[in-house]
Amino acid sequence: MMADGILPSSFRDPSGFLFFQKGTLYRQVNMGYKDNYECLVNSGLYNALIRDNLLISHEEVDIEPAGSADVYKIIRPELIPFISYPYEWCFSQLQDAALTTLKIQKKSLDFGMSLKDCSAYNIQFKRGRPIFIDTLSFEKYHEGKPWDAYRQFCQHFLAPLTLMSYTDIRLNQLARIFIDGVPLDLTSILLPFRTHLRIALLLHIHIHAKSQKYFADKTMNVRNRNGRKMTRHSFLGLINNLESIIEKLKWRIQSSEWANYYEDINYSSQAFQHKKQIVNNFLDSVGPKVVWDLGANVGLFSRIASNKGIETISLDIDPVAVEKNYLDCIKSGESKILPLLVDLTNPSSGIGWENQERMSLIDRGPADAVLALALIHHLAISNNVPLSKIANFLSKISHWLIIEFIPKSDSQVQKLLSTREDIFPDYTQQAFESNFSEIFTIQSAVKIGNSERTLYLMCRKHD
Amino acid sequence: MYYYLRLTALFFVLALFCVVYPQKVYAYLDPGTGSYILQLIIAAFFGVGFAVKVYWKKIKSFFHSHFSKTHQDMKK
Repeated sequence: MMADGILPSSFRDPSGFLFFQKGTLYRQVNMGYKDNYECLVNSGLYNALIRDNLLISHEEVDIEPAGSADVYKIIRPELIPFISYPYEWCFSQLQDAALTTLKIQKKSLDFGMSLKDCSAYNIQFKRGRPIFIDTLSFEKYHEGKPWDAYRQFCQHFLAPLTLMSYTDIRLNQLARIFIDGVPLDLTSILLPFRTHLRIALLLHIHIHAKSQKYFADKTMNVRNRNGRKMTRHSFLGLINNLESIIEKLKWRIQSSEWANYYEDINYSSQAFQHKKQIVNNFLDSVGPKVVWDLGANVGLFSRIASNKGIETISLDIDPVAVEKNYLDCIKSGESKILPLLVDLTNPSSGIGWENQERMSLIDRGPADAVLALALIHHLAISNNVPLSKIANFLSKISHWLIIEFIPKSDSQVQKLLSTREDIFPDYTQQAFESNFSEIFTIQSAVKIGNSERTLYLMCRKHD
Repeated sequence: MYYYLRLTALFFVLALFCVVYPQKVYAYLDPGTGSYILQLIIAAFFGVGFAVKVYWKKIKSFFHSHFSKTHQDMKK
């Protein structure tokens, strides 16, 4: 739970800010935003967006403000179960987030309003679908005024999506370095030449980057305020064009080591069913509300939890696996599972101002229960992480731990050792149990039938 | 091809000075001068397409309703 006070990420917009009070999240609306807030509510835009599940709902409340005298209203926004960030989304998640933002912008124009910013961080996933979370991002639309958020939209959405589609899927990680979106000049350099031949990309990325560079040291002419304006048709033409490019962007899923993992497992279907049964029983005995599945692959075991109505975060390092997982969620309309791209050997850290604007993965926990199935040998052997350190990390993110130990004799571990010297004399079941017992209490250990693997249910000793 | 690109860029810059008189921007978010000006040009370009699409639909629906009405009158 977050400590009381203003959220470290909520300081840029003078319209208001988010704060915690007695464990509840509130948003202060400042006097300066009064007209826009009233327009959002009274124009019918708020209700239209809520009806279409495009904006989180809120209630106006009567509580003490968080300190600022500039208060107009305090609202209590609906909570998002798990905050995720664009660098943790797969291609289709970012694409859906971009299209949702444009849909909101079009709807806002219908009601005489417009989005004043277009940060990808204003989108979160709720019940498996993207939703806008910043109630104070709407402003009255004045006919003729261009879109202030155009640059931000291109940097936060169009640039990373184009890079992922045309250059390399891993380039979404640039969002971790550039908190206000991927710079367009860098995007222009990294994109293949053929993107110059697509008129929309030539304009929105390549020429846009040149224009930014050209005008970087020039100030805007303020003498003629009644100069040429952007008509409503032009505005809609621009939004429709952005929508059309983003819809057309595709990422052809390559085969990957992990996405076909379940076609290449080394144990019998009987053992696989038994493993599922044990995980199911462990989850039933613990009854968690939130589960994180680490190394979830395409989310097969995550679904044992999510099908029970448990909020499940399905984390994996492989963009192909996360993409497949997300597309499966969309196809079957699953609402309790959120696939995310996370490298556990370098999980998302706190970034932005004072390293606090975007939370680290650990700060967003702990989960009630963590699934670490067929994972530990990758951390211990492929990444040389000692068992004690793995236990320590897992204790930071979970109360309950459902973990699978795979001995060295298992063919999957042998595969990892086949190309390197075995420098892991301590990788034994006994050492595993003794290291984990220092931090966790082992509640149950069940051998998976027809295999050499064991599943453990553990509970963190100190909460 | 490089020259082609530079020429294209130059064309837009010139178009800008010929056509655009930027207005003062009041926004908490810096729209960026280059982005702001380019947006006006791009939007004008796509706006024409959008307007054509809208009016074409209107023209089509006008003729559609007009002719179907005439057709019905002839039947009577």
